[in-house]
Amino acid sequence: MSRKAKTSVESAAAKGALESGEGRAFGVVRELIARLGPVFALVLLGAYLSVASPHFLKTDNLVNITRQSAITAILAVGQTIVILTSGIDLSVGAVAAISASAAAVLMTQRVVFLGMVIGPVSFGLGFLVALAIGALAGTINGLIITRGRIPDFIATLGTLTIFQGIALIITGGLPVPSHITATELKGYLPKQMIWMGAGEIGGIPVAGLIALVIVILGWLVLRHTVLGRTVFAVGGNREAARVSGINIEKTKVAVYLLSGLIAALAGFVLAGRMNSSNALMAGEENLRSIAAVVIGGTNLFGGEGGVIGSLIGAFIMGELANGLNLLNVSAFWQRIVQGLVIILVVMFDQWRRRRFSTAR
Amino acid sequence: MAERQPILRMVKIDKKFPGVHALDHVDFELEEGEVHVLLGENGAGKSTLMKVLSGSIQSDSGQIFIHGKEIHNLSPEHARELGIGMVYQELSLVPALSVAENIFLGKPHRSRLGTIDWRKIYKEAEKSLADLGVAIDPKKEVRRLDVAEQQLTEIARVLTARPKIVLLDEPTSALSDAERERLFALIRLLRQRGVGIVYISHRLVEVPLVGQRVTVMRDGKVIGSLPVEQADEPTLVNMMVGRRLTDQYPKERVQPGKRVMQVANFSVKGSLHDVSFELHEGEVLGIFGLMGAGQPELTRAIFGLNRINSGRMWIDEREVHIHSPTDAIRHGIGLLTRDRRQSLVPVLPIPPNVTLANVSQLAMHRPIKLRSETRMAADYIRSLRIQPPRLNRPVMFLSGGNQQKVVLARWLFSKARILIFDEPTRGIDVGSKAEVFALMNQLTKNKVAIVMISSEMPEILAMADRILVMHGGRFTAELAAGEATPEKLLRCAS
Repeated sequence: MSRKAKTSVESAAAKGALESGEGRAFGVVRELIARLGPVFALVLLGAYLSVASPHFLKTDNLVNITRQSAITAILAVGQTIVILTSGIDLSVGAVAAISASAAAVLMTQRVVFLGMVIGPVSFGLGFLVALAIGALAGTINGLIITRGRIPDFIATLGTLTIFQGIALIITGGLPVPSHITATELKGYLPKQMIWMGAGEIGGIPVAGLIALVIVILGWLVLRHTVLGRTVFAVGGNREAARVSGINIEKTKVAVYLLSGLIAALAGFVLAGRMNSSNALMAGEENLRSIAAVVIGGTNLFGGEGGVIGSLIGAFIMGELANGLNLLNVSAFWQRIVQGLVIILVVMFDQWRRRRFSTAR
Repeated sequence: MAERQPILRMVKIDKKFPGVHALDHVDFELEEGEVHVLLGENGAGKSTLMKVLSGSIQSDSGQIFIHGKEIHNLSPEHARELGIGMVYQELSLVPALSVAENIFLGKPHRSRLGTIDWRKIYKEAEKSLADLGVAIDPKKEVRRLDVAEQQLTEIARVLTARPKIVLLDEPTSALSDAERERLFALIRLLRQRGVGIVYISHRLVEVPLVGQRVTVMRDGKVIGSLPVEQADEPTLVNMMVGRRLTDQYPKERVQPGKRVMQVANFSVKGSLHDVSFELHEGEVLGIFGLMGAGQPELTRAIFGLNRINSGRMWIDEREVHIHSPTDAIRHGIGLLTRDRRQSLVPVLPIPPNVTLANVSQLAMHRPIKLRSETRMAADYIRSLRIQPPRLNRPVMFLSGGNQQKVVLARWLFSKARILIFDEPTRGIDVGSKAEVFALMNQLTKNKVAIVMISSEMPEILAMADRILVMHGGRFTAELAAGEATPEKLLRCAS
């Protein structure tokens, strides 16, 4: 206890001695501006919407935004880790759909698999199967990229449609449960799954809490584990990482595995919210998750950024979609506005980076 | 020969980079039909001077006259219009394009309809290559050429613009003897046409073969200019090396201990042939060679960055198989790369850069103790005097010498027992150089074995206990510290 206290005092003293007084106050201001850019965007947009629409600040509406943003936020955590290694995972939505749909089929129907009749299985087993499928899909992405030596973008673009295709085969192209399958057996998704997507604890949506937990875990992995350090090194300078003894291929496979695992969880939450799973359900999420990461200030070329920014990025997108609905903007125009916001936020971010963080 | 007049005059050109006075009031002249050899060691300022002349670097002060007319604000385009053609040391070709496309890059022949006239381009390209006496297919992609062919393509590209002043920066480093002869013949032809040529080299033997006048540079200053008749080798070596041999390099000899590493018959197809050596505790083994002699390939092979075709290696008398840097680090080897940017993660601050080689040896799920990492990094910042001593500022803002110290701290922290220094002083200022050498002394006292790869004669002569000279991917000589002289090194290396 006393030893611990002493070391922290020592390191604080060392830090004080090392950080010369000059520019320290300014350094803090700069640091805040550099870190909080996305937060400003979130708050400004929120301030505008609360003036423009009387419904925006109502509890129901805020809960709704949280629930909608949660899926993107969860996916964005895996996406952030991938992008930090200067990769990109275009298949996260497809992985979410395939793992949730396969699990949903197992949990609601009787399936013949390798001559055995299985199911309907319990929620717990279904959840594990979904996670396993997500991890497997992510590993396949990682292996195609490292062993096949093809760019991340191409590999995951390919597996995106492959996973969608497999999910269509598994579900027969129908929602699960559907009017056809529902009559046969249980018919409904397990109530735990629905709780994950639509439940609340003390007025706070469970999906939002799951997102928060995943963000915290992601932050811990990135900041406090060897894998996290490796991710920043590989994305910051691949050659230096290699010369320092980092196994780049192993790192790549690990981050895609994580991304797949997290996507499977997101798929579960999404299917729970919609009370149904289908093979193409998270199609928009492939790109939404990337947009959230970029809006959150993570460098698309790797090495700089983090999951907290991505969480805020996901909420900016959710807030925006919700606000446009409240303001009665047509769905067609919403797409245009969303695209513009992505471009403007990133332009602002680039300007801020040049202006503040690289100043000597 | 026709009456001569200076076509180029550079007066008091001055250029400072952070920590380095790259050009210190340099005067330079070139006459019509003259080959002016610019001689000097790495970092003497030759290439910087040429970059000022070709407009890719702006000097801080000084004047440039071409045909007696002062030129202001020289840009690369402007330089080209003035008839200045530069063949760069680092090839500047586009690998995915064909030879002909590269030769006419940015200025393709057009037909009357405005489309590119491919037939004419290929014909012209073939002709300009034939002028050089080489048979390269103009339709071939540049990346499929070997280095010598690429260099000749680069020269052909510069010459098609019919320049009045040609800057050749180490043009023969990748050429065979026959190709070099052809290049010299071409240079003679250009002289007859009245073209002035600046020829940069550090190969002394080439001076009388091509030049009429020699200027020697050292540490950003012109040491002297003399006609080639007076420029015998000892004079030039003396001018290049100066009398810095002893003052700057505080070598402290340590009695070498037991053998720690043995490399036998390392071969890499096309670059290393049957290379063998031994390394002892507390020893500095120097490896000297000119550009293209195979030193980088040897480094990469030892450190597991490149596969070897054959060869074996022992550490502490036990055979080891190194397939990746991870293996090399596990066996106690450390590498200070030639280019520090190759070792550092620029956006990360000092502490994670220092611990990277240790962290990479741990399993992925293991935690990182940030507090002890910071404390440890602070210790190295203090003991190595890294400036400025900031713990959370990205290392990209440090000067070259301080970046080098961060890399050094990494290998001190990894407890490496065999350290490969690949051009350890490249691009760092004099003060940091001395500090790096002092650290080498400290390391050898602690029984660390050092392989010092360098093409700078003074530092290798001063610091190495034993020098192996490389040429054409082979060791051509082994010299003990006492018997090595600049002349011997250069003779064995070329």
